[in-house]
Amino acid sequence: MNRRNSIKTKNIILRSLEVILLIIWIFPLVWMVITSIQLESDVISESLRLWPENPTFENYQKAFRSTQILRWMLNSVVVSISAMVLTLIVDAPIAYAFAKIDFPGKQILFWAVMAGMMVPFQVLIIPLYQQFNAFGIVNTLAGTMLPRLALPVGIFILKQFFEGIPTALEEAAFIDGANRYRVFGSIILPLGKAAMATVVILSFISAWNDFLWPLIIVSDTAKYTITVGIANFQGTHGTDYALIMSGALIASIPQFIFYAFFRKRIIEGIAMSGIKG
Amino acid sequence: MAIPGNHDKRDGIIFSLPFLIVYFMFMVFPLLFGLYISFFNWDILSPGKFVALDNYKRLFTDEMFYSSLWHTIEFVLITTPILLIIGFSMALLVTGDSPLSKISENVFFLPYILSMTVIGTLWAWLMQRDYGLFNQVIRHFGGDSIGWLINPKYAMWSVGLATYWWTAGFNMILFSAGIKQISKEVYESSKIDGAGYFQTLFKITIPLVKPTAVLCLILQIIASFNVFGQVYVMTGGGPHGRTRVLTQYIYEAGFRYFKMGYSAAMAYVLFFIILLISVIQYALLGKERS
Amino acid sequence: MKTHNHKRKIIAILLIALITVPALWSAGAKEESKQEGPIEVTFWSLFTGGDGEFFDAMVDEFNRTHTDIVAKSDTVKFDNYYTKLTTALSANNAPDVVVVHQSNLLGYVPRGVFLPLDDLLARNNAPLDDFVKAPLDAVKYEGKLYALPLDVHALIMYYNEDLFAKAGVKEVPQTYEELIAAAKAVQDKTGKMGMAVDNTTATYKAYTLTRLFMSMLEQQGTSFLNADNSKANFNNAAGEAALRALVDSVHKYKVTPTGLDYDGAVNGFKLGNAGIHFNGVWATGTFENQPGLNFKTAGLPPLLGKPAAWSGSHTLAIPVQKKSDPAKLDAAIEFMLWMTEHGEMWAKAGHIPTRESVYEKEAFTSMPHRKDYADSASFAFAAPATPAWEEIYSTVSDLLEFAVAKNQNAREALAGMEAKVNSIIASY
Repeated sequence: MNRRNSIKTKNIILRSLEVILLIIWIFPLVWMVITSIQLESDVISESLRLWPENPTFENYQKAFRSTQILRWMLNSVVVSISAMVLTLIVDAPIAYAFAKIDFPGKQILFWAVMAGMMVPFQVLIIPLYQQFNAFGIVNTLAGTMLPRLALPVGIFILKQFFEGIPTALEEAAFIDGANRYRVFGSIILPLGKAAMATVVILSFISAWNDFLWPLIIVSDTAKYTITVGIANFQGTHGTDYALIMSGALIASIPQFIFYAFFRKRIIEGIAMSGIKG
Repeated sequence: MAIPGNHDKRDGIIFSLPFLIVYFMFMVFPLLFGLYISFFNWDILSPGKFVALDNYKRLFTDEMFYSSLWHTIEFVLITTPILLIIGFSMALLVTGDSPLSKISENVFFLPYILSMTVIGTLWAWLMQRDYGLFNQVIRHFGGDSIGWLINPKYAMWSVGLATYWWTAGFNMILFSAGIKQISKEVYESSKIDGAGYFQTLFKITIPLVKPTAVLCLILQIIASFNVFGQVYVMTGGGPHGRTRVLTQYIYEAGFRYFKMGYSAAMAYVLFFIILLISVIQYALLGKERS
Repeated sequence: MKTHNHKRKIIAILLIALITVPALWSAGAKEESKQEGPIEVTFWSLFTGGDGEFFDAMVDEFNRTHTDIVAKSDTVKFDNYYTKLTTALSANNAPDVVVVHQSNLLGYVPRGVFLPLDDLLARNNAPLDDFVKAPLDAVKYEGKLYALPLDVHALIMYYNEDLFAKAGVKEVPQTYEELIAAAKAVQDKTGKMGMAVDNTTATYKAYTLTRLFMSMLEQQGTSFLNADNSKANFNNAAGEAALRALVDSVHKYKVTPTGLDYDGAVNGFKLGNAGIHFNGVWATGTFENQPGLNFKTAGLPPLLGKPAAWSGSHTLAIPVQKKSDPAKLDAAIEFMLWMTEHGEMWAKAGHIPTRESVYEKEAFTSMPHRKDYADSASFAFAAPATPAWEEIYSTVSDLLEFAVAKNQNAREALAGMEAKVNSIIASY
């Protein structure tokens, strides 16, 4: 009896904690939507008004009419998709090497690569710009995307996963006369699908959210990515919060869709990178 | 690995090569170039002047450097422990027997996929003193407006709040994976021993997720040391420089004032601080494991 | 079934590659257009929000009325603009024409990244005598012209007529005492804020404090820096009076609340919740659009002596290019002259025109408010021309913000500011 009571209290405490957290986590997003469907003059109000008096889609119309927001979105898609594909192409082989191949200097190399995670990006901007100028890829979307490929997060996730693939499988293939490339192509890659999906998705998200570098490398308004484009919604001398929130929402829609489709993969993948510490 | 015709050395290099080329071009080389710049006084428009270690020496007499570094450390201290706790609590909730767990997991994680610009603007708006939602609610219930972002006492915490909201979901996922790893039998036997929920939590769950916690800690500290966007968008370093973090000062020195050499020197110092902390953490972690 | 799926996947991948690859590598507008037709003048500006709308309308009007030139304008938000501009200038990648603040321009010019315009202007018979003298002189360096001023944007005073009437304030305040008296009257009789002056950084930096501080120094005949811009020049009686005036309005007279940020100050005045507001001329457009707000403008009153007001100026300059094309340069000059000549369009955003002829135009004279502060141009002063200015401006704003927030002792605050400013200048 006593025990049942204590379980009950436990449940009540945990459920109410959960509901409170849920409200805190969902409400800012709801407020973003509510702000975005009002006129600026209605938004700036000192008293609390939870539902707009005159809901309107004018901010959205304005965003689509007077900016190239669709174009920016397309640019972001191009940049993010190529970033994710290329990331996988360069990350998967080296992650496999780190996980399964014994070669001299492997440990040092691994840590040298991981140290790349700790570099503050500010130190790279000017050198990279000068370099890209020499390559002639300033003001191209390729220039926007390329520095992302050097980020080692994906390698970390893939290495963790590849290590979990039983070596016996590989050995059997070697005995059958297969070489490394065959093993990589016919065993590791098919088995590593889940992890690769995660890397691909995480790199899509982070490429989509990139701000400082695309801002500097691209100068045509028509070549902006969406994050750079919507930053211009902020006025020189005053903030129109309603307009900014509508821009932020539009920019986030692809993220939401992407998340809805790949939710399971994203979550599994992050979890995977953590399990073995 | 004992295989006939072992080509491990060759294969290791070949498999590593594509990434290493990219890594050298877009990370190692610019990083070395940055180091080179840090020995110059250079405004990027006119030729630089070699000053050897002057930029590094100047750091030690620059009050602004110290205060920005302190603000960064403050941010790390404000965010790291609480983010671990929130992440862990969320993980407990979503791995438990709650009917809401699926919904919760998604809702808690959702902010993580949004861009920093969006998060920063949204929270700056929520926390705006006169017209933001938070103060509207407080005033509605008869309280006084709080200067979330403009009171020097609260500003850094307010940026922290936005950061909790943004990234706690990531830690939640890591922790839930750790919790799911713990075998059912351990829990069953503790139940048979008559342990209650909280006893089990402190005696079993917490000790067993320790490795996950360490990973979270390392990732979180690296991320918090590199904080830039939230602060830049939400407070612009204000009030009166109270939330200016080191990355912001690096950015301003380089791209507002065009002291590229000085900026690079500061960035290097930050890099080494992060590196040092990570190495220490890793060493401690290794010790504990063995 | 399985192979079918496989095929579909491959086709999908090929399609994506087909779309993305060319998009990735397509170069920018920097490519020389070989075909005949209008000359393209590329152009960068930092105008977003309300300013941006008026500015884009001007560019559209230019393109509508010109068949031989196409102006193509790209906008970057103000706080990232100079990062981008300098990076581009360092590699000679900047566009044909750029907007630069006068205070930033003179930091760039000694580095040789902008073209001297005298010969080009002469070749195009530019009516230089039509320009207002002060802003034109402000863009000269060692006797040569490096830009054309598009506007002057001075610090001015806005006041709410309804609140003034309710509070019984009949005269527009001229001195500091009158200003405080008016603000106090508004505060006591209407319960609204006396004076909305931002004193805390949030989304925007609290530059208004620095602008007021500099203006009040000039009003007492002192400048912020010494004559050759090598030392701070405000740790003296004039500086003390100016800083006291700022701090006292918040702490002694309490006509401005502490912790007021820029958005709070602007919106406070906009909603009719503040009697007096100091801001640049650019706020005029926003206030005009607010229904029910009955306000007037005036040049910055001579609070501590003679008339003087901080002002900035947007200028148009031509970056040095890898290859210069004379036809393009002439087109750029034509574009720049046209923009200044149509200052009445830009005045819609509140800015003060720089061409004498604009002041005659009916489109300008019929606009409300603009002529109330147009005389500001005659007592406006510009920021000191030193490459260190950007850092000084931002650092001093932080320190003033601190002094006002903490009700700091004026002498102590000024001594600290002086030491900081001198060390900044020494580091350049």
